[in-house]
Amino acid sequence: MRRLLWLSVVLALVVAYPLLFSTPFQQRLGALVLLYAIAASAWNIVGGYAGQVSVGHVVFFGCGAYAAMGAYAHFALSPLVGIPVGIVISVAISAIIGVPTLRLSGHYFSMATIAVAELVRLIVTNTGYLGAAVGLSGPTVPRNVFDLSFISALPYYYLFLAVLALTLGITWWIANSRMGFYLRAIRDSERAARSLGAPASRTKLYAFMLSAGLTSVAGALYAMMFGFVDPESGLGILISVKMLIMAALGGAGLLFGPLVGAAILVPLEEISNNLLGGKGAGLTFVLYGAIIVLIARFQPGGILMLVKRMIAKRRSKLPSAEARGAAHAP
Amino acid sequence: MRFKHIIGLLCAASISVMLAGHAFAQEKTVKIGAVYPLSGNAASAGVHAKAAIEVAMDIINNPHPEFGNFPLAKNAGLAGLGGAKVEVVFADNQGSPATGQNQALRLITEEKVVALTGSYQSGITLTASAIAEKYGIPFVNGESVAANLTERGFKWFFRVTPVAADFAKIYYEFLKDMKAAGVKTDSVALVHDNTEYGTSVSSVITSVFKDNGQSIALDIAYAVNATDVQSQILQLKEKKPDVVIMIAYASDAILYAKTMQALDYKPPMIIADDSGYSDPSFIKSVGKISQGVLNRSSWSVGPPGSPTALIAEMYKKKSGDEMDDTAGRQMQAFFVLCGAIDRAGSTDPAKIQAALKATDLKPDQLMMGYKGIKFDEKGQNVLASGLVIQLQDGENYVAVWPKANAEKTPVLPYKGW
Repeated sequence: MRRLLWLSVVLALVVAYPLLFSTPFQQRLGALVLLYAIAASAWNIVGGYAGQVSVGHVVFFGCGAYAAMGAYAHFALSPLVGIPVGIVISVAISAIIGVPTLRLSGHYFSMATIAVAELVRLIVTNTGYLGAAVGLSGPTVPRNVFDLSFISALPYYYLFLAVLALTLGITWWIANSRMGFYLRAIRDSERAARSLGAPASRTKLYAFMLSAGLTSVAGALYAMMFGFVDPESGLGILISVKMLIMAALGGAGLLFGPLVGAAILVPLEEISNNLLGGKGAGLTFVLYGAIIVLIARFQPGGILMLVKRMIAKRRSKLPSAEARGAAHAP
Repeated sequence: MRFKHIIGLLCAASISVMLAGHAFAQEKTVKIGAVYPLSGNAASAGVHAKAAIEVAMDIINNPHPEFGNFPLAKNAGLAGLGGAKVEVVFADNQGSPATGQNQALRLITEEKVVALTGSYQSGITLTASAIAEKYGIPFVNGESVAANLTERGFKWFFRVTPVAADFAKIYYEFLKDMKAAGVKTDSVALVHDNTEYGTSVSSVITSVFKDNGQSIALDIAYAVNATDVQSQILQLKEKKPDVVIMIAYASDAILYAKTMQALDYKPPMIIADDSGYSDPSFIKSVGKISQGVLNRSSWSVGPPGSPTALIAEMYKKKSGDEMDDTAGRQMQAFFVLCGAIDRAGSTDPAKIQAALKATDLKPDQLMMGYKGIKFDEKGQNVLASGLVIQLQDGENYVAVWPKANAEKTPVLPYKGW
């Protein structure tokens, strides 16, 4: 009951945010938090729940971004048309690279995904149709509303919020289905899960494909908002790392973990750049890096894990039977 | 509890500092935003751009009678706005198109800048100027050369720099002149990296040369930040082109010079496309084995006491490095923007836009070697041009073409070491 109350308060705050903080930059900041939360939540399905740490997710992000910009640049269509195209391509790519690479475990899987991401970046850099190193740009002067090129960040905010709700809904549904139990079992011990009859390979592949499709939506939304994609901004390895760090910071394998991570890191990055960037001393990333190091050292489970533990501790102090039961829950 | 108090005090202190900052800003100033890569891969370029703009601010904001008739220098501040000072808010684009756009938005909406300049990398100039276009804020660019920037139908975007097509024409005209003088220029080879810069410049050169009936005999692309270029040099050695056009960043340019010496290959003529070959580190490390390399530039120091020589001196004092073509082009764009604000006599963006459209500067009012500054309806400066310079002694470039601006005559063939 209490949990539901808290959730609805947070939800109300999220919906009302752009009205409470109404300067264009604050609204845009809110939209960026949601955008990165979508990407990190998509990563969370395979990286958090299934424990397969992919550093190649930028491939799917790039698929979405390039599909959206390509729809405009080559066919003069709305970038929205690119979304389903991007999903189809990235699900296909994820199946192709997932079958061999998901057999690898631990660091080897991560390394294989890095290799794939770099390969794709190099191929795109040398492909004239995809704009090569110059990149593709979207409609800067909107022709109609379907070009999704707005001055205000408000429409983006609510669009991203809807997509994030959908992503989290799918994640929640997966986590509480049979597949979710398989995924968690695989994360804890793949060998044990297999010995109990869980179809590990197939489950991992499905999670990877689902995660890829959702990541490509995030990529398409990114490209629409900024109206441009080039190999560095659409396929650079740093974007994968960002998704990973956000999920890990908030709490990988928890439903709201990536959202919490994005809500901390995106403002941190933007605001520290606002305050320090103009000095030309490169302090932004020093600060950013220091915070990541501190969290990795003292709270590797993520911030949500810390909060959960604190709540559990407080409940265990209360004498009520219900609270005691909650504290003993795994 | 005590910790909380300290935090509270810190917050109060920081808020009061911010408020104080706002109070000072009440003085009569014109705020301009500058988005540059102050961190990341291109940080060096961004930091030099910042220094160049700070020198320009000094020239505009303080009286500099020694500059003679150079625009905006004589009196303090902008005469058209009653001596208002120019204030520049710098922002870091971190080498990312998304960050560049976010920062442009912040400068427009939070800092209330009346105009923007920047952003070095073409992709970032593209996204940052898109937000300026939406808000109706003039964006003056001095250094990004991607062709598509002025093909977007924008009304608030102005580009002062010559673009790849202008450079290609310079090379073509230069080669034509050399041919008339009896130098063999029939087969041309292009060597370029696979970055946005390398691919776009090489494709523009190819198409301009083709339109003029000159084909490219050999086109060699290589991966940027190369560790070995022997195969590329051997390809050149086998084809024996009359002219090699090099489009490379500094580290690659140095590697090419060293490998050419190691493999004892000297083409009859090397033309470099600025960037790496203009970098101070190139001249320092391999200048002596690259004697006679030709290059393009719009910057030339000029005789002592001239405005350009004074600017070069001020810039060297500020940044510790010699003035180069890129920093010069950025500085020139900033002067153009401030000149337009001065003529508009207002900080209203629409009036600044109108003044920019009416810009008509003559060569003696410029620090760069352009034929003038006049924008077409797309916002491109139609009078942008450049010189061909040559590293004759392995230490300093001298202007060798066109004849009107030449300090020395071109020395051919390529001497090397």
